[in-house]
Amino acid sequence: MGILTRASRSIQRRKTKSLIAIVALTLALTMIIILPPSINARQNFTQKAIDHLAWNSDILKDMVTLSATEIECNYPITMNMAPSDVEGKMIWSKHQPLINEILRDSIASIPDVVDLIPILLDHASNDRAYVIYGVPIDDASIHKVPTLLPINITQGRNLQAGDRGVVVLDEWLAQKLGASVGETVTILDHPFTVIGIEGQYPQYYEVGSRVTMSLPDAQVLVNATGSASTYKIFVNSVDSVNTVVTRLKNLDPTLNVVAGFFELNIAQSLQNQIDALNDVAQSNFNQIRITGMTEMGVAVVTNVVVILFIMLYSVRERTREIGTLKAMGASTSKVLGQFILEGVILNVIAVVLAIGISIFFTTYVSSLILPTPIQTSVSIGWDPSGTLVLGHYSFGDQPIRPGQESSNLIGASITPWVMLFGLGVAVCLGVFGSLYPALRAAQIKPAEAMRFDE
Amino acid sequence: MSNEFVLKIENLTKTYSMGKRCVSPLVDLDLEVRKGEFISVMGPSGSGKTTLLNIIGCIDRASEGRVFLGEVDVAGLSESRLCKIRRDRIGFVFQSFNLLSYLNARENVELAMELAGKFGGQRRQRALELLSMVGLSGREQHRPARLSQGEQQRVAIARALANEPALILADEPTGNLDVVNKQEIVRLLVDLNERRGTTIIVVTHDEAVAAQTRRMMYLKDGKILEKNNRQANRGNFDEGLTREVFEK
Ligand SMILES: Nc1ncnc2c1ncn2[C@@H]1O[C@H](COP(=O)(O)OP(=O)(O)OP(=O)(O)O)[C@@H](O)[C@H]1O
Ligand SMILES: [Mg+2]
Repeated sequence: MGILTRASRSIQRRKTKSLIAIVALTLALTMIIILPPSINARQNFTQKAIDHLAWNSDILKDMVTLSATEIECNYPITMNMAPSDVEGKMIWSKHQPLINEILRDSIASIPDVVDLIPILLDHASNDRAYVIYGVPIDDASIHKVPTLLPINITQGRNLQAGDRGVVVLDEWLAQKLGASVGETVTILDHPFTVIGIEGQYPQYYEVGSRVTMSLPDAQVLVNATGSASTYKIFVNSVDSVNTVVTRLKNLDPTLNVVAGFFELNIAQSLQNQIDALNDVAQSNFNQIRITGMTEMGVAVVTNVVVILFIMLYSVRERTREIGTLKAMGASTSKVLGQFILEGVILNVIAVVLAIGISIFFTTYVSSLILPTPIQTSVSIGWDPSGTLVLGHYSFGDQPIRPGQESSNLIGASITPWVMLFGLGVAVCLGVFGSLYPALRAAQIKPAEAMRFDE
Repeated sequence: MSNEFVLKIENLTKTYSMGKRCVSPLVDLDLEVRKGEFISVMGPSGSGKTTLLNIIGCIDRASEGRVFLGEVDVAGLSESRLCKIRRDRIGFVFQSFNLLSYLNARENVELAMELAGKFGGQRRQRALELLSMVGLSGREQHRPARLSQGEQQRVAIARALANEPALILADEPTGNLDVVNKQEIVRLLVDLNERRGTTIIVVTHDEAVAAQTRRMMYLKDGKILEKNNRQANRGNFDEGLTREVFEK
């Protein structure tokens, strides 16, 4: 029968009051246990979103720089005024002069021009309802202008660096030619293997369907080795764009020269969207922290106050008992010890319950008390028409419907460390909360306590 | 009875000040108590009996004068020294028993020894002996609520004896008891005094109780009037006997 037995017996004796106190303490401690890992988990989610946004923002910046330094040049298209019906499609036969190697070399020798990407586009004509589209399939070019290649492959694969004698057909054309992936088709008397089918885009109805192949293949097909219909010209800096445009016009005044300002505007609007999302994510991040910290503070204060009051009440109620103990020679430290211990025991019982509750209800409780983190981010992509767009996606393997948290991802886990933390906090707050009542108890004068009527 | 002084009080004055008003229940009081004495203190309500007992028991301090417990003048001692003296040299018995309701009889007795730093096994053994001495064998596991008032007071006496104090101070130990229980408690105290030589000071309103003691004191106007009670009639509760002792 030591101080511990005495403390716990005295708690047992005051059943109802102890029970009420323990319930309140348990609620507060549950918050204290659940909050830190939950805040952490939620902030991690939002941080991930913020990181992704920043990453995309960087990509976009690169692309803006690239667009800003990109100039497209080609000869104007001349078009027959009357369409003709070719294989069930209304085709306006078009003609576009090609840019030959001599002009290409002249362009390449303009100072500040760092790169040229040729594209050969042979338009539909009276005997062919589709476009032949030849692009350079090397990694550097594809990296620089990702829209060179089809972006919506529905069957087979896309073109890759080094591909020769292979084509990607669009769906209409594949159907028309009765070809599927792996089969051979004949285009302008040349055999090609179909390696992929790209989805049909509404836009192409205007220009007809297309077959995409490597630039050298296309050049062979249309007997124009070394020529291209369009050059994408990259200059070394934004400042040189205007000079280069002027030089190009000087080379041949009939050339169509377009600087990449259109992409620039889209990129700017995407950047604004990303910035707005970033603001939302950042404020969500802060909100999680502020809400969490406030709740943590409230829980800590509640815990201390509950202990303070129950123990003050206890000391008041037990004045005579304390007087007796002191008259019997209980030292100040013994009395202090017993009352602090009682506060700590209450909190330890509460923390055990709180840990139990936390193990089962962390996810639920934290979704009640903390803001939902941002779990979605964007990725930069192109829509079928080749326009830059932001795609939204969520983290994890589970699609997120609006207003629904993917709980398995946010659920913070109550690790042994978290439990230990809870126990430590409970003991500290127990000591802290019962310190003042215990001091009051220790200061009770036995002679006066004995006169005190119960 | 030896010549050794257990207690010696010289010129004790106790003054309580409540704002401007002062009350002095004890004025310039002298008292000497030898080892093995059994003393009763009577006096009207408010005469300062409890105050005197509290000062002797070191739970209150004298305003003036000197109080020796054995050789030590307790007036100048620190609170922690007083605490040790209470623990080791004084046994209190209160009118309302003051047992801890959440401890059983044995634990209540052990508590006194625990405070004195005695160890578990030794403590338990002695608690059982003391309880058997006050006639409570077999009731060790009962909490105060399940004991009669007389039994509770016997537990309190066992508790007071636990650390073999030099002095037992009992403040109206029979005040809450009926006649039968009162007789039992008085017999127990007399027994302790006679068989074990325990020094006892008992404050009482009850002349029949006082009549059982050898030295009867009467507190009046802050001073002690004393009468040697040689005819102390042990076991005989004849109230007339004691009354005439103080009649002048
Ligand atoms: N702490 C205190 N403050 C002020 N006055 C006090 C205090 N304690 C006691 N007194 C006063 O001192 C006087 C003596 O009180 P005490 O309790 O010693 O009397 P008593 O003889 O024990 O009386 P009773 O027989 O009723 O128990 C009383 O007038 C009381 O009001
Ligand atoms: Mg009194």
